[in-house]
Amino acid sequence: MGLDPTSRARFNLKDSSVLLLDATPLGMTILVQIVTGLGAKTLHRCADTEAARIAVESNQIDLAFIDSLAPTGEGYDFVEWLRREAGEPNCYTPVIMTTSHTPRSQVSRARDCGANIIIKKPFPPITVLERIIWSSKEGRKFLFSDTYVGPDRRFRNIGPPKGEKGRRREDFTATPLPEGRADATEVDDAAGETSQMSPS
Amino acid sequence: MTAARFTVPKLRLTQQLKTPGGLPVAEAITAAQANLAELKPMCIGELHQLLEAAEKTFAGLGSAYDEAGVTELYETAVRGIGLGDICGAGSVDVALHSLCDLLDHLHTNQHYDAEAVGVHLRAWRLLISTELPADGAQAVLAGLTKVSAKYGAPKEA
Repeated sequence: MGLDPTSRARFNLKDSSVLLLDATPLGMTILVQIVTGLGAKTLHRCADTEAARIAVESNQIDLAFIDSLAPTGEGYDFVEWLRREAGEPNCYTPVIMTTSHTPRSQVSRARDCGANIIIKKPFPPITVLERIIWSSKEGRKFLFSDTYVGPDRRFRNIGPPKGEKGRRREDFTATPLPEGRADATEVDDAAGETSQMSPS
Repeated sequence: MTAARFTVPKLRLTQQLKTPGGLPVAEAITAAQANLAELKPMCIGELHQLLEAAEKTFAGLGSAYDEAGVTELYETAVRGIGLGDICGAGSVDVALHSLCDLLDHLHTNQHYDAEAVGVHLRAWRLLISTELPADGAQAVLAGLTKVSAKYGAPKEA
């Protein structure tokens, strides 16, 4: 994603309504210190998923930091609820999932809950800002299906697997990337989003 | 085949980020880092408290697998991840991650290895309490990773 920490480009979180879910007081304090440093003013601090549901039901949320709440992984269930039950516009809220450690038994839950991105603790402020900017990207498809509701997890379109017929409508137009350019889409997208910030 | 529907939502956040005013990236990052630096004493204190709690739990465990004890140790260790970095002891975070990996493996396999857990707790105390040279800390961490990976390796048929 590569955001330059010395950049003079500006971004504005002043009017954003930010949901924070973390069960530990110190974990919450760390999140608060980071997002207020980044300029966020309206914070909904929740220590459990019930409080987070109430916050979602009574506010429009622009951005959410949801801890996985290890070892139970209730944070994943909350994101699933947000995607499936919260209704518009909150079901589309960019969700940055935070995690200290993911037990092996919960890897698929983490993948399938519908978060935009997962970041592992410790996360420096520059990483948080990069992920906010990345998650705010418009144009990313949002999928509703029986088994998954959330942002499209497919970032690169290099066509269907070799020898198989593609299932995407646009598969027939896809052309494989040249050798060594496998990550080109993600890198280019991140750079494009960064450049949208107005210079000071 | 399951039915799927795609939409491309308009996000209010996208517009908010571009609203005039706001903060330069450099200024915001500096402010956030300064905010975190204020938490350093709290994080050190919390890491010591968690370590003491973990050592107490560990001392109460026998040699057989104890579901409640292993879960309690995991819950204690996982709360400490991320605090080390804020107090300038990032190696503690790595050690705690290794401990959580180990406890997760032990939980999955319903097995207990007191020596492997004990060496992690001793490393935790060492990394938090002393000014280890960087290569010393790396050697400790490499040893811990080997211990926890031993249980993560796929079983031979």
